[in-house]
Amino acid sequence: MSATHSMPRGSHCGRTLVIATHTFTQLARMKVFYFMAIFAVIIIASNFLNLQQLQGPESAGANALGSIKSSSFSAMHLFSVVLSIVATALLLPKDVEDRTLYTILAKPVPRIDYLAGKLLGVLLLVLVALVLMDVLMTAMLQIRMSMILAQQTELATAAGYTPDAIASLRAETMANGPNASLQGAVLAVFLRASIMASMALLISTFSTSTLFTTIVSFVVYFIGHFQADARDFYLQMGQAGQGGFSRAVSLGVALVLPDFQLFNVIDAVIEGQAMPLLLLGKLALVGLYYALFFIVASWFIFAEKEF
Amino acid sequence: MKPWLKSVLLSLALLAFGAARLPYEAGLSRDLRNARLVPPHLEIDTLDRIGQTSSAVALGGLRTLVATFLNLRAYTAFAERRWRDVAKTFDVIVDLAPHTRYYWETGSWHLAYNAAGYYLNDSKLPPLRRREAWRSYIMQGRVFLERGIRNNPDDWSLLANLGFLLADPNKFPALRDTHASFTAAAAAYQKSAATGKAPAYVRRAWFYALARVEGREAEALALARTLYAEGPKNRTPTLVMLLLVLEAHENPSLDVARRAVELFGTPEKAYAALAGHWQRTRERFPVFGVSSALEALEKSLAIPKEQSILSQALPPPPSPDDWFRN
Repeated sequence: MSATHSMPRGSHCGRTLVIATHTFTQLARMKVFYFMAIFAVIIIASNFLNLQQLQGPESAGANALGSIKSSSFSAMHLFSVVLSIVATALLLPKDVEDRTLYTILAKPVPRIDYLAGKLLGVLLLVLVALVLMDVLMTAMLQIRMSMILAQQTELATAAGYTPDAIASLRAETMANGPNASLQGAVLAVFLRASIMASMALLISTFSTSTLFTTIVSFVVYFIGHFQADARDFYLQMGQAGQGGFSRAVSLGVALVLPDFQLFNVIDAVIEGQAMPLLLLGKLALVGLYYALFFIVASWFIFAEKEF
Repeated sequence: MKPWLKSVLLSLALLAFGAARLPYEAGLSRDLRNARLVPPHLEIDTLDRIGQTSSAVALGGLRTLVATFLNLRAYTAFAERRWRDVAKTFDVIVDLAPHTRYYWETGSWHLAYNAAGYYLNDSKLPPLRRREAWRSYIMQGRVFLERGIRNNPDDWSLLANLGFLLADPNKFPALRDTHASFTAAAAAYQKSAATGKAPAYVRRAWFYALARVEGREAEALALARTLYAEGPKNRTPTLVMLLLVLEAHENPSLDVARRAVELFGTPEKAYAALAGHWQRTRERFPVFGVSSALEALEKSLAIPKEQSILSQALPPPPSPDDWFRN
């Protein structure tokens, strides 16, 4: 039995899930999953970015795992951000154009359910795509790591390394292979995409075109990477007791825009840093906070909108 | 509700929402920075050097991707022997990915070994220029590696690589003060071993460097005894020989020849090891008691005077005057 069937259709959740599933199908029919083929090519190509420039067992394949991770995460990052913005920007205008919106709103469907369903559909699509990419990346990392371990062990044995040294070498290589922190980084990619999608939904409720929503969302996305700088500037200038106007501007940026730098933890994980579960939980809270606020704000605008 | 009122209310809500999350985000940002999970801000200079497109990509949270592609650029520069470009590119790469050991090691290796080696052999430049360029790239490689260590103080491999560089006989003339170099090499190896992640050979390398620091022989002897006591895996010919030499330093009345036979098993093996050590002038290992032990063993093994190792010329120390003659 599907999730939508197990939920009473009259409930908020039931209605939201029906709309979400429909949105997911609608977007999947736009052949977005063709991107997976490109992703597979990217992953395979990244294997060849390994340039062994140093001698010794430690450097055998030293950069291969890093290349696979950085290329894969970049593809995930770009795909999730572009998809979450463009798909969300497309939803309302397309429903208006197809007149689906009128059919839905003519029924006793609260507008918040409609918006939540649409957003959930986009997020479901992004999640499925990320999970598929994650599986591909993890499989490729596992295969490549096994090859590197075999090569390192052979070289280290030939160089007369002791079993302890070989074990230590293997442990270091394995730390750069597939691990829990990498899955945490994938979640961080999803959280960033969720914020972008919910923000694009808010913009699309008052925007006049898909293009406007897309452009504004991308602008906000890029400026969002400087939000932390604006916030730091505001706090530091406050301590120095200077710069009234600059402080006001930086406060405005810090209050209005999301802080996307928080999600740059991905780079550190690619470099082999471990991501503590507590910090991941805190990041998830940030994502949830933004998503909830933006959806409520979207509903506030959309609730009385005339079509 | 009137549209203007809606806009005002939404703006107020946006500000209130922002004000509510600001302290939380500031705290989280601090936590992530402390945990080294958020990279430091990019320097303006770095952004200028990677260009607008790459800057946008890097600022958008894809620094490691830009670093990966710049590494390809650095490789091309290396293949074409454009050493200044190699140095500049690696400067940018490590700004983008400061915790990736590979970039620090590769960058310093290109500078201290490849670029320096290139100028050692490049006959197109006048000798003085070559000599200066050779020394300059070795120093740049060292500085680059030390910067890597400051960014990654717990990385055993970067520390060990600094030790290798400072204890490399081919680099002694460039580093000039060998006493300071061996002291720094020993400190680097010691820190590397202290991380608990370094292979066993790093501790031996620590000892080899320490044994060459004048005035710290007692410390080196204590370390040698510890390593020797740990078992056969540490009893390399160099370690055993240095243990003997340091024992001879500690106790000038020691019968070095007898002790050498004890350590190496037979008079023949002891003689071969001592002769080999006597000839290893390039590494500048101490030779306390070696000549007297050789004399004693030559006597007991009835080696003719003309075949004595002591009468043979010693290999000359590395000399840039010879390397850069033409």
